[in-house]
Amino acid sequence: MAAALSVGEITRRIVREARPGSVVAASGVWADRIRAALPGSLGVWALSDAGLMDGAPLSVADAAAIARGGYIDLAVIEAGQVDRNGSIAGAQSASGLSIPGNAVDLSSGAQRVVALLPNAGRDGVLNLAESLSLPADGVNCVDTVICDVGVINVAGGQFVLTETAPGWTAADLQAMAGVSLSVSPALRRIDLAAPSGDAVSKVYSDGVGAVADLPDGATVFIDGFGGPGGMAHYLLVALRDLGSRGLTIVSNTAGIARVVSFGTPPGRTAIDHSVLIENGQVAKAIASFPVSPSVSRPSEFELAYRRGEVELELVPQGTLAERLRAGGAGVLAFYTPTGAGTLISEGKESRTIDGREYILEYGLRADYAIIRAHRADERGNLVYRGTSRNFNAVMAPAARITVAEVDEIVAAGELNPEEIVTPGVFVQRIVKRPDGFSGYE
Amino acid sequence: MAFSKVYESAAAAVSDVRDGATLLIGGTASDDAPAELLAAVLAGGVRGLTGICDFARWDGADGLIELIRAGRVARLVSSNPFPGDDGGDVRRLWESGDLEIELVPQGTLAERLRAGGAGIGGVFVPVGIGTRFAQGKETKVINGTECVLESPLRADVALLRAAAADTMGNLTYRGVQRGWNHTMAASARLTIVQADRVEEAGNIDPELVITPGIFVNRVVQSVMIDGMGG
Amino acid sequence: MTVDKERLDRMIIAMRVARELPPGGYVNLGIGIPTLVSMFVADDSVVFYHSESGVLNCGPLAEDGNEDIDLINAGGQFLQPVPGMAYFSSVDAFAMIRGGHVDATVLGAHQVSATGDLANWMLPERGVGNIGGAMDLAAGADRVIVAMEHNDRQGNPKVVQECDFPLTGKGCVSLVVTDVAVLEPTPAGMVLREVAPGWTADEVQSVTGARLIIGDDVKEYEV
Repeated sequence: MAAALSVGEITRRIVREARPGSVVAASGVWADRIRAALPGSLGVWALSDAGLMDGAPLSVADAAAIARGGYIDLAVIEAGQVDRNGSIAGAQSASGLSIPGNAVDLSSGAQRVVALLPNAGRDGVLNLAESLSLPADGVNCVDTVICDVGVINVAGGQFVLTETAPGWTAADLQAMAGVSLSVSPALRRIDLAAPSGDAVSKVYSDGVGAVADLPDGATVFIDGFGGPGGMAHYLLVALRDLGSRGLTIVSNTAGIARVVSFGTPPGRTAIDHSVLIENGQVAKAIASFPVSPSVSRPSEFELAYRRGEVELELVPQGTLAERLRAGGAGVLAFYTPTGAGTLISEGKESRTIDGREYILEYGLRADYAIIRAHRADERGNLVYRGTSRNFNAVMAPAARITVAEVDEIVAAGELNPEEIVTPGVFVQRIVKRPDGFSGYE
Repeated sequence: MAFSKVYESAAAAVSDVRDGATLLIGGTASDDAPAELLAAVLAGGVRGLTGICDFARWDGADGLIELIRAGRVARLVSSNPFPGDDGGDVRRLWESGDLEIELVPQGTLAERLRAGGAGIGGVFVPVGIGTRFAQGKETKVINGTECVLESPLRADVALLRAAAADTMGNLTYRGVQRGWNHTMAASARLTIVQADRVEEAGNIDPELVITPGIFVNRVVQSVMIDGMGG
Repeated sequence: MTVDKERLDRMIIAMRVARELPPGGYVNLGIGIPTLVSMFVADDSVVFYHSESGVLNCGPLAEDGNEDIDLINAGGQFLQPVPGMAYFSSVDAFAMIRGGHVDATVLGAHQVSATGDLANWMLPERGVGNIGGAMDLAAGADRVIVAMEHNDRQGNPKVVQECDFPLTGKGCVSLVVTDVAVLEPTPAGMVLREVAPGWTADEVQSVTGARLIIGDDVKEYEV
C-alpha cells in the first residue's frame, strides 16, 4: 500500500481550509505546525493553546474567551474518535488516558471544526464510529475529518469520503473504518497546494466610509469614560453626518463632558454623545452615568429623556463592563453581587451563593462599536494611551463590527507584541483621525 | 518609597504556606513556571496540598511534579495532568488512590479562575454541553443556547513567574509566560511571584504592565534564570 | 430639634477618615469629601489609590497647564504621572473592586441606614441619577466608609433608621464619618463611636434619624 501523508503534508492539507483573514486555532503541537505553514499573504490569525495569537501573547483566560466568543473560524482538534453525528473524543495518550486540554473549548466555540486522525493509514485504523465509545469532548460539532489518507465530511449523519491520498482508494479507507463510508461522486485526489488570496484591508480612509453601513435601529457601543480622552470624536461626527436613526447607544455616560467639562482641559468644550442626541438619532441609552452630575446643567440626553424622546437602561459601571466582557467572551450570563437588594435587581433572577446574594446579569453584544485607540497596526492590533483604555478595550470584542479611530496606523509587525492590548481579531475597521481634526467644539 | 513587596528569598516568601493549602501554579514549562517557589514549598515540608494548574514541568526534575512525587499533593485540578505517554508518576499515584484528580477543560479552568478573581458568583457558558464535563451541573438555555453553570475558583496561594516585577508588584511577562501566570494572579488570597528581574517602581512603563500590583502580595528575585544556573 | 453648635468642616472629616485607611492597602476614593482624604494620609503610611477610570497607584492631581486628557481619575480630574502606575481596562478595574482586592472605599452618601444600607446614587425628586461605580464599590470593597455631612441643606438627617431613597447597597457600610460624629452600622443598629468636640451623645441623637446605640465608651472625635 502507498505511504500515508507525512505530518508536513497533512499540515498543508489543513491549511487549505483557512480563508483569508480568518482565525484558526489548533490543539497541541498542531498550532505551531499550522502557523508555520500558513502563507503570510492570507492574513490568517493562528491561535495556540499556549496563549499566542499570531505570535502576540494572551492570557489563557483571554485565549479561551476568543474561542468561546465565536471568533474562531476554524478549529483543528486531534481526535481519538469521531462519530456520525460529528461528536468528537480528543486524542488519547498511548496508554489510553484521556485529557480535555483545549479540545472542549474549541469544539464548542468554533464556527467550523476539523478533526484530525493523523495516524490512520500508518496504524491501519480509521477511528470513525456509529457513536463514541470514548468520552466526548464535543458533541455534534465536527464538519470534516482530515487523516493521513483522505478527507471525510461529516454531514447529515453520514461520513462522506471526498478526497483520498495518492495510492489510496475508497475501498482502502472503507476497509480501515469500522463504519460505512459514503463516497462523494466528486471524489478526488487530495490537494496539497498552498491556498491563495489576500486578507481584506481594514484601513478606511474616512470616517463616514468606515460606518457607512451602520443601519437605523442598530445597537452601537460608544466609549469615552466621560471626558474627551478615549472618545472617538471623529467617528461620532461621522455617525452624525451619516444620520442613522433609532440607535441604542451603550456607553458609560450618555454625554456629560460638554455640560460639565468632565476630563476636559480648561476653556475647551468637548464633542460628546450630545451630537447624536440633538440630531434625533438616539432612541435608547444603556449607561451607568447617563446624566449630568449637576442638576442645573442638564445634558442633551437628560433633556431628551425628560421630553420622553429617549429610553434609559441604567446599569452599574462594573456590571456594564462585565456584561460587555461576557458578550465578547462567550459567557451568556453571570452572577454578580453588585446591585443585589437595590432597584437594579428588580425583575432579575437572584440567588444566594456561599451566604451572599447575587443577581444574574446577561452578556451584552452590539452590531457596531466605535472606539478610540492611540495606535493600530494594519492588522487591527491596538494600543491605547493612559486611562483612555477603559471601556474601549472591553467593547472591541463584543461588537460584530468594531471601528477604531486612532492617531497613527503602522505596518503589521511594528507594534511590540507585548504591548498589544486589543488583538486585531476584534477590530474590523481602522480609521486615522485626520490631522487637524479637533475633538472640541 | 520605603514600601516594597520584595522578599529576600523564595523560602521567606512561602514560609507561611500551610498544610492543606490550595495552590495555583502558573506556567506550563521550565521558563514560565515558578520552579524556585515550588522548590521552596517542597523544602518547607507542607503536606495535603491541592494543586491547580494546566500542566507544569512534567519532564523536569523540579516543579510541581516533585511535590507530587513526594506525596505532598492530595488533589490536582488540571486540564493536562498526565505527563508523557504513560502518565508517569501522576498516573501511578492516581491509580493507587493517593492522588485525586479533577479534570477541567482548559478554557473553563481559566474562566473559573477569572470569575474567582473578579468576584463573579458563577458563569453560564456553552462549553462542555453533552460531555462528561457538564454532568451533574446546573444547565440553562439562554437565547436558545444550552449553557452550563461553572463555579468560581479561588485558592489560598498563587505561585507565579514573571519576566519583571517592580517593588509595588506590577508585573510584565515574556511571551507565553503571560498565559497562566496572569490568569491566576487575581484568584488567590496570597499571590507570590518569582520574577526574573526586580525593578524599582517607575521602571516599568505603565502601558506595559500586564498584572497590576493590586493582585500581587510578594515578589522574589529569581536566583537561576534560564540556564544561567541549575 | 436643632443643635446650634459648631460642626466640623470638610477637611476635618477627611482627616478623620484618613486614619481609617489601611497601611499598604488599596483604596478607592469617591467624589467630594472623599477626594480630600488623600491629603491627610500620614507620611509614613503608604496607601495605594485605585481609580475606576483605569489606573492604579495614582497620586496627586496635575498642575494647571499639564492636563493630559488620557490621564484622569474617576471624577474627571487630571492626574500627574507618578512612578509605579499601571493602566488597565474598565473590566479589570471592576474585577479589582468586585473581586475583593480593594481594601477600602470612601464614598459620599444621601442616606445611610442603621444597619449600613447605603443610598447615594439618586435623589428621588430628580427622578434620574448616576450609578457609576458606586454599586460595585458598595458590593465589592472590603470596607465601605461613608464621609458626609450629618444633615442635608434643609437639616434633614442623613443617618436614618431605614433609607427611603433608592439603595446603592444593602448592609454594606462599615463606618460613617460626619461633621458631628463617627458611627458604626451593625446588624443590631447604629452605634455611636465618637462625637465632635463640644457635642453630647444626646445632641447627636437629636439630629439623627436612626436610633443610636450609645455605649459608655463614646469618645471625642480624634483627628
